[in-house]
Amino acid sequence: MKKILNKIHSFFPLLPNIFSAFFSKPETENYPFEKTHIPERYRGRVSIREENCVGCSLCVLDCPASALEIEKESKTQYRLLHYRDRCTYCGQCEQSCRFDAIYMDNDYIKPADNKQDFFAVLVDRKGS
Amino acid sequence: MMKELFEFLFSMMIFPGFLFLVALGMLFHWIDRKLIARFEGRIGPPWYQPLADTIKLFAKEDILPIGTNEAFALLLPLTSFATVLTAGFYIFSAFITSNTSFEGDFIMIVFLLSLPSLLFFLGGWTTSGIYSILGGHRSLLKYFSYEVLFLVTLSGASIASGSWSLAGIRSVQENGSPFVLSQMVGFMLAMAGLIGKLKRSPYDIPKAKSEMIVGPLTEYSGKKLAMWNLTDYVQTVAGIALLVQCYFSGLWITYSPVGIFTSILLMLGLQVSLAIISTIFTRLRIDQLIDLNWKIFIPLSLLQNILIIIL
Amino acid sequence: MSRLTIPIGPQHPLLKEPLSFNITLEGENVIDSVLRLGYVHRGIEKLAESRSYIQNITLFERVCGICSHIHTTTYCQAVEGLLGLEVPRRGVYIRMLLCELERIHSHLLWLGVLAKNIGLNTVFMYAWRDREIVLDLMEEISGGRVSHAINTIGGVRKDLSQEQIQKLNNGLTDLFDRVKDLLRIVENDRSFKARTRGIGFLSEEEVQRFCVVGPVARASGGRVDLRKDTPYAHYDELSFNVVTMNEGDVWARAMVRIHETSEAIRLCEQMVEKLPSGEIAATMKRKVPAGEFISRSEAPRGEVIYFVKSDGSQSPARVKVRTPTLTALITLPKQLRGLQMADVSAVVAGVDLCIACADR
Repeated sequence: MKKILNKIHSFFPLLPNIFSAFFSKPETENYPFEKTHIPERYRGRVSIREENCVGCSLCVLDCPASALEIEKESKTQYRLLHYRDRCTYCGQCEQSCRFDAIYMDNDYIKPADNKQDFFAVLVDRKGS
Repeated sequence: MMKELFEFLFSMMIFPGFLFLVALGMLFHWIDRKLIARFEGRIGPPWYQPLADTIKLFAKEDILPIGTNEAFALLLPLTSFATVLTAGFYIFSAFITSNTSFEGDFIMIVFLLSLPSLLFFLGGWTTSGIYSILGGHRSLLKYFSYEVLFLVTLSGASIASGSWSLAGIRSVQENGSPFVLSQMVGFMLAMAGLIGKLKRSPYDIPKAKSEMIVGPLTEYSGKKLAMWNLTDYVQTVAGIALLVQCYFSGLWITYSPVGIFTSILLMLGLQVSLAIISTIFTRLRIDQLIDLNWKIFIPLSLLQNILIIIL
Repeated sequence: MSRLTIPIGPQHPLLKEPLSFNITLEGENVIDSVLRLGYVHRGIEKLAESRSYIQNITLFERVCGICSHIHTTTYCQAVEGLLGLEVPRRGVYIRMLLCELERIHSHLLWLGVLAKNIGLNTVFMYAWRDREIVLDLMEEISGGRVSHAINTIGGVRKDLSQEQIQKLNNGLTDLFDRVKDLLRIVENDRSFKARTRGIGFLSEEEVQRFCVVGPVARASGGRVDLRKDTPYAHYDELSFNVVTMNEGDVWARAMVRIHETSEAIRLCEQMVEKLPSGEIAATMKRKVPAGEFISRSEAPRGEVIYFVKSDGSQSPARVKVRTPTLTALITLPKQLRGLQMADVSAVVAGVDLCIACADR
């Protein structure tokens, strides 16, 4: 009897799987109509804690895609710009900053239809 | 006079003619896709998907490569659609009444149902792309083997009933017992033949996406492709209905409303088993297909027929 | 019978990445094939010479999508070797954990692709459904499903919290049962074996002659596994088996890869148990002294070699990468000779090509 069952099993090993998949909930996430789970460490938008930034420009040096730019007039007057369309969201800026200023949020960046949305001024300390 | 004309138009266009066959074909195709999706753990398409696909295809541009015979390329899908519609008409009206059935209609139905495979291959030949030619090549080999199997097993049913008409086959079973009990092996081989005719997995080498893109139909688009798809849908329903009538008549299938209800249930049951068979096997190679057919299936069906003749 | 040449061209449903083959058929049998590479060449090695060492980590992650973490690990190991930096133990363990998770991901993806090419869509869907568990785990730890960006020169960037360790344990136990189920299917299914046995055969001395590495070599009997031969990154502290088979055909490669997946799950469980405490990264001096270093590691497809040469300036003077797919590609024309047309898809899928790695 066991031999016969084994023989049937070797012909149709997928049968128990398809029946159990039929009777359980499908695994597809119905994405636009259901919310999906974003973990805490998801690398989303690049943001800044303005009070910590001193303008050392280590983040600008280390960015692999040249997405961060700094316009420096003096030691305390500078502007830090971020080009979101060049950014690869790798998190190297967060790693290089020694003052805990620039960090990555877990906000999901939505598509946009004009170029202005992809350009952000992170720190503006230029004099008038 | 007007009443007869009206009845004629009704039966040709609505039931069991064009609209009914196309709607039933689309319903069964949707059931198939939804079942296969659920077996794989996916959600599957909504109920209006086959209809939406057909409408979309009618709106698309219809282009063919240079050098194809345009008239032929239109004639082939049209003819195959027409043949399955005719076969479906006779099969489905035999569910309701025995008046439309004539002596020899069984052979005519099986012949009409086998024409689309030949035309499928010719369709690939006319459009002459490299993928179509190779896909068509293999389809012809397959067509030859599995049509023969289908015919040989189904003729077991007609030999046992001693008549070449559908009504005759049904009435012999109604007076005796359904053929599925006495010809179980023949029934299963007929299912195998049906899977081969319909080009479903595990026999879908001509349509194998990973190898030959879509096979002979690679270059078709627009209305012509829609007609090839509709042929597929109607051929499935017609084949299933033919099997149900030839093997399950009598005990459960009669001309009464209860009988029609059970026949619909049986057709759904056959569709479910076709979907299960599609999901659990890989696609077989062409030489494995043909080996399996000529070495195992056809000898068994011939043996079955000999036993019927003797007993 | 006339001869027909079919282009399995740069775009084909059978291939994941662009590769060009021209197969010459006679009837239904393959006689010869001509291979052409270079459709995805992006000049990464040259680009690396104009960027700093830190910027290169992100660059080398993009050599390949499926084995991205192992490329950055090997590169960081090379630069750490040049600097003489020692990575703290906890950092090394987290690196190894992600390497093994990536191996599981790569093998499950490959099983799905092989099943799809053969025609068994069901196993494709099941394998990719199980792959979602691994991707979710990797996303919890590093923040990205496929591009992890967790390596830095000197260690890793993010630590594992207790909650993540709990999720890891649950996920790994679940995954082990599912992989066992997939093994049962692949081992027993008759139609699967009918399509994959006896084709694409490579014998043991051919494997040595063509210098094949990875699961393709292990399926033909060669015991080549860098984690046992020259252990890098504390693999000598963990215990696992090297799986080999003798048949050398596509089915043997499938079995080797699935067994390796279970071994990788066991390795991950050991690593989570033995995770040492401490720092996760050592601080890096920005100036890299002149010198050369070769670092090797075991990617899901075989052995990856990185040669980094520095001349004391901001950017490396030369980075040379040798990826394992190239060795397997060279054997393809030999494997395809004499097969039928329908077997081509099974063989090409069975070798697990990653053309982005091969072209760079």
